[in-house]
Amino acid sequence: MVDAFAYVPAIVALPFVSFLVALAFGKYLPKGGAFGGIAATAGSFLLSLWVLATVAAGGQHVETLYTWVSTDGIAGGIGPQEIELTFGVLIDPLSALMLVIVTLIAMLVHVFSLGYMNDEGEPDLPRYYAGLGLFTASMLGFVVADNLLMAFMFFELVGLCSYLLIGFHFREPGPPSAAKKAFLVTRFGDYFFLVGVVAVFATFGTASFAGSESFPVLAEHALAGEFDAWTPFGLEAGTWFTAVGLLVLGGAIGKSAQFPLHTWLPDAMEGPTPVSALIHAATMVAAGVYLVARMYGFYVLTPTTMAIIAFVGGFTALFAATMGLVKDELKQVLAYSTISQYGYMMLALGAGGYVAAVFHLMTHAFFKALLFLGAGAVIIAMHHEENMWEMGGLKEKLPVTYWTFLAGSLALAGIFPFAGFWSKDEILYEALVHGLNEPLLLGAWAMGLLAVPVTAFYTFRMVFLTFHGEPRTDVARDPHPVRWNVKGPLTVLGVLAVVAGTVNMVPVQKVLGIEGIDLLHLWLDGHYGGFSELTSHHYAELGPYSSGYIAGGEVPTVLIGAGVSLALALGGLGLAWKLYNVAEPAEHTAALGGVKTVLYNNYYQDELQVRLAGVTAGVASAADTFDQGVIDGVVNGVSSVSLVSGDRIRRVQTGVVTHYAALLTLGVTGLILVLGVLGGWFL
Amino acid sequence: MSDWIAIGALAVVGIGIPLGMMGVSALLRPSVPEQGKRTIYESGEVPTGSAHIRFNIQYYMVALLFLVFDIETVLLFPWVVIYRPALNAGVPMARLLLPMLAFVGILTVGLVWAWRNGAVEWMSSPRAMRRKTERNQP
Amino acid sequence: MSVQQPSTVEPLAALPAQTGAAPLPEWTALGPVLALVAAGLLLLLWDTVFPNRRTNTELSVIAAVGSLAALALSGWYLAAGTGRPATGGAITLFAEAITIDGLALFFTAIVASVTTLVVVASRDYLTDHETPGEFYSLVVLAAAGMALLASASSLATIFVALEMVSLPSYALVAYLKENRGSVEAGLKYFLVGAVSSAIFVFGISLVYAATGSLLLSDVAAAFGDLGDLAGVAGVGVVMMIAGFAFKTASVPVHFWAPEVYEGAPAPVSAFLSSASKAAGFAVAFRVFTEAFHLGGEVTAVGIDWALVFAVLAVVTMTLGNFAAAVQTEVKRMLAYSSIGHAGYALIGLAAISAGGSHNGAVMGASMAHLFVYGFMNTGAFLFIAMVERWGVGRTFEDYAGLGTVAPMASVAMTVFMFSLAGLPPFGGFFSKYFLFAGAVFNGFWWLAAVGALNSVLSLYYYSRVVKAIWIEDPTDALAAVDSRPTALYGAVIVAAVATVVVLPGFGPVIETAEAAATALFG
Repeated sequence: MVDAFAYVPAIVALPFVSFLVALAFGKYLPKGGAFGGIAATAGSFLLSLWVLATVAAGGQHVETLYTWVSTDGIAGGIGPQEIELTFGVLIDPLSALMLVIVTLIAMLVHVFSLGYMNDEGEPDLPRYYAGLGLFTASMLGFVVADNLLMAFMFFELVGLCSYLLIGFHFREPGPPSAAKKAFLVTRFGDYFFLVGVVAVFATFGTASFAGSESFPVLAEHALAGEFDAWTPFGLEAGTWFTAVGLLVLGGAIGKSAQFPLHTWLPDAMEGPTPVSALIHAATMVAAGVYLVARMYGFYVLTPTTMAIIAFVGGFTALFAATMGLVKDELKQVLAYSTISQYGYMMLALGAGGYVAAVFHLMTHAFFKALLFLGAGAVIIAMHHEENMWEMGGLKEKLPVTYWTFLAGSLALAGIFPFAGFWSKDEILYEALVHGLNEPLLLGAWAMGLLAVPVTAFYTFRMVFLTFHGEPRTDVARDPHPVRWNVKGPLTVLGVLAVVAGTVNMVPVQKVLGIEGIDLLHLWLDGHYGGFSELTSHHYAELGPYSSGYIAGGEVPTVLIGAGVSLALALGGLGLAWKLYNVAEPAEHTAALGGVKTVLYNNYYQDELQVRLAGVTAGVASAADTFDQGVIDGVVNGVSSVSLVSGDRIRRVQTGVVTHYAALLTLGVTGLILVLGVLGGWFL
Repeated sequence: MSDWIAIGALAVVGIGIPLGMMGVSALLRPSVPEQGKRTIYESGEVPTGSAHIRFNIQYYMVALLFLVFDIETVLLFPWVVIYRPALNAGVPMARLLLPMLAFVGILTVGLVWAWRNGAVEWMSSPRAMRRKTERNQP
Repeated sequence: MSVQQPSTVEPLAALPAQTGAAPLPEWTALGPVLALVAAGLLLLLWDTVFPNRRTNTELSVIAAVGSLAALALSGWYLAAGTGRPATGGAITLFAEAITIDGLALFFTAIVASVTTLVVVASRDYLTDHETPGEFYSLVVLAAAGMALLASASSLATIFVALEMVSLPSYALVAYLKENRGSVEAGLKYFLVGAVSSAIFVFGISLVYAATGSLLLSDVAAAFGDLGDLAGVAGVGVVMMIAGFAFKTASVPVHFWAPEVYEGAPAPVSAFLSSASKAAGFAVAFRVFTEAFHLGGEVTAVGIDWALVFAVLAVVTMTLGNFAAAVQTEVKRMLAYSSIGHAGYALIGLAAISAGGSHNGAVMGASMAHLFVYGFMNTGAFLFIAMVERWGVGRTFEDYAGLGTVAPMASVAMTVFMFSLAGLPPFGGFFSKYFLFAGAVFNGFWWLAAVGALNSVLSLYYYSRVVKAIWIEDPTDALAAVDSRPTALYGAVIVAAVATVVVLPGFGPVIETAEAAATALFG
């Protein structure tokens, strides 16, 4: 039998080939190279499924493909030990699962792009498909990376591709500046990451993720006193590991748009909608969370880092959700929901819920891709109008879009039994049981819980404004139809958004005692295949947390937790229903009778909105002030300081050569005097 | 105490004495300004024109070429002095002669190139030539 | 000083010896320098024989062949291990006045490759000039001086080689006689250079006074116990630092660099900022490790030179990067960025600690950075040469939309800019990465941190060029882009390819550099 693992490099290479083909020959190909991209991602998808099946059959794989720098045989090479810089692949349950998710979403986005870009007559299609191909290839390379340096390089490539794609419509004023913002803000985080990579090399002499010589394992040994890790200034190993972990986390926070580096993501909506789907569901933003999950064995060793991750995650979840409440544009609401949902994943990781985080990463990939593609379909139908107040009543005109979008929304809001319910519930459950012994974590959990009704509210406000009620404009009355290439991906994702939760029905198992339905737990625990040091129970043993229960035991805790979050979600949904699921005040509604009620409702709605806006505006404007004042202030401050001092230097450079000779002589004389005094030459 | 103090003292004295002499004479002497005292001293000659004039670039070219011969001579002299004794001491002739030949050869290449490119031709500027030919036209 | 009798007949194992064939005689170790000198003389002869013919292409070919021969020879010697400990150690010639070892050959290779690119590109840059003979011969002879500078191991040879580089450079900068900027830059370069040379030779005389020898090995021995003369030697060393700072465009002798690089013909700017700078670093590396005990115990002089270089490195890179950020002209921005990169390379001298385990690694990384810099910086200046030839303006605005009319060259320029900024996956990333990593391992994490911060800032002004080329709308000025100068194009593309090819080929480069540098500390 041919080994599936031999084809792992091909998974990465196929989209890259489609990138090259689209770049070189896109002009001459039908549809601007779209079919090549679809074929490549479909091929990658099939190979990924094969890899997944092989892992399920008990396989795992780590292999160094190429050593590009080796310091063997050189005296005093780089590093405390001899270092090799390599490219390699690591296939374990986590990366196999992620491969399938990324290739599936990428394939569907390619298909959808046929409808969104080709049918709409967008220019420069080869550049678009080349960008998509490179984007997919970079992300896949990042997923299979077997060491931190390789991960960093593909991480950067992902950032570069997002820059290219967000700025796709570079002739308009918005997209280039959004692309720049995305690039610069994520790079700000990446510089910390880079320093972190160097620190990992310096500390452990290796950056591989798996194996007995991997850096998480070495860190474990170092804390147990069995391995002598290098630390600067004689720091305690634990303190230094915390610092290293936080440095690498900088990269994850930037890419996953966590507070305070989330500002690029809403602006990134300037990119074409399928690109937004790819960025948000499966690639760029997911990369940050995936990075933390990939080196989770390192993070669980340092409680401080874990607490920071959890707190940042919980805070981001709530903070972004409140901002999503008042947005008028469809994609803006989705953007804030993405930030919020990745906050949940970070919360799960920080709270020791490794499986929960990966679970949510998976379900979120499905339903967020669905929502973005659905939004894309609406945007096609509305002739590129994105303001929800210009829509309404699209339910009848776009049935496929409506029902799939609804499924995605129910999943996002966390309504039983849709996918999002299971994963979000597990996150909150993990945070709660670990938080009962850890007050800081409990605070993060509380913020996560508070975000639940807010999420449900803004999600359904979006659904009702877009699809329900009466059409508010002429375009909404007669929308542009969408074709199979839009409906197909929506249907696939819609089904997944409904059923994906069944892979991990932990609550059901715990309450009813049915064994073996927590497939994802078993999967990530190396039950089928995988490395022993990369399993969830290994992480749990290392982790700093112990579980506590309320109301006397596990089952009541599960039930109460699920019940509370579901109730809150339904509450948010209900409020949205009451406020927004009403016919719009159009000329004939008044004539239909019940005029007073309609008016009252309208009035009530406006009034509440103003009031709600007033409440959230406080939070939102505080957040906004923070963004504008502190974050932008620091960035602007740094650049203006450098520009001003640069200007000073320019003024010294007068152009008069005698000044130079004088300054030169003075400089050398000064140097001689200072050094002479220091060296005691004149005594 | 270090030797540097002596150097510093010497510098102070070296600057102080002339400054002091000028200062004392400025205090003592009567001040009678007149034209003759302000002219440039040219050994009794009455100076004409300014010293700030531009010399023809050809002077520099000749001076530079002269340097080629100058350096050649400076190195040739000691070489000539040791040539015979070294030969007698058994150093092979190739090792004595070839380096100097290479040196002279390299200088010659430079000289010939400069010559060929008009470094020693007086007034070879095309503008001057044009003016000259124009003047010859009737 | 005992007069050694270097034997020319007795073969040595230290030279490339193929099995079966007799090893080459010892003087052939100087082959790369001799190739450059021969090419320079041949250029003069050619120009003498055909003074009035338009011989631009032929001269360019001769110069390129000569520099390629030097490159091939030094590459061959490097591969064969000439002058390395494994093959019998460094080869010394002319009573130790010249030492051929890994360092010398490595820098000769850098100089030769930059020279090749520059002379090839000059064919198109000088196409309107009537007598380009002196241009090519000056470039090639200056390159010979640089190669000699990298091999010089006596203070006298060093000074002569330094002047051999400087004097042709002055003439080259002022080569465009009709261009006021070029002439002004040449004069400024000459004046500042004369001051620096004077300081440098004064420094040499003080070191000689204190140690009684000009040979680096003797100076090193005398530095062990200087007695009362420690101060004299110390002042001498600082003055020599000023001389090296002039060649490498580092603080405090950097003032000339922006104006000279801006005013000089762009290929000459490329040559000076890449090759001349590298040669300056070569000799500084050699002098400080071999003569002044850098990386050894602090000597009688009482100053840790590494600390001095650390301060100069920080000031140089910060000043260069900050000033580059506010420039409006691309060439001047590159000039300041060149100062910034001198600061990075200075880390190779600064992050050295007594008995540090990574001294060789960090200096080797600095050498590798200069190697990569040779390609990416030369390429960037040659791109500017092309733009100058087209007559498109000099500011960032004038570069708007160049990507639409000259896509290949613009891709190359993008590669140079990103590589200079240190973005992966280009060569500049790897060399900088190793440099900073080496500094961290040697305990100079703060130096690496300042370097990394400066890299962040540098991304700002490098990306301005990329933005102008690709994102901004083309202006009417681009109508001037009417020709495709083949040789210039070729040189730019080759430099870009080299910058990218360093990705898989970086292993041999860094290994060679580290081995060469480690030998210095051995």
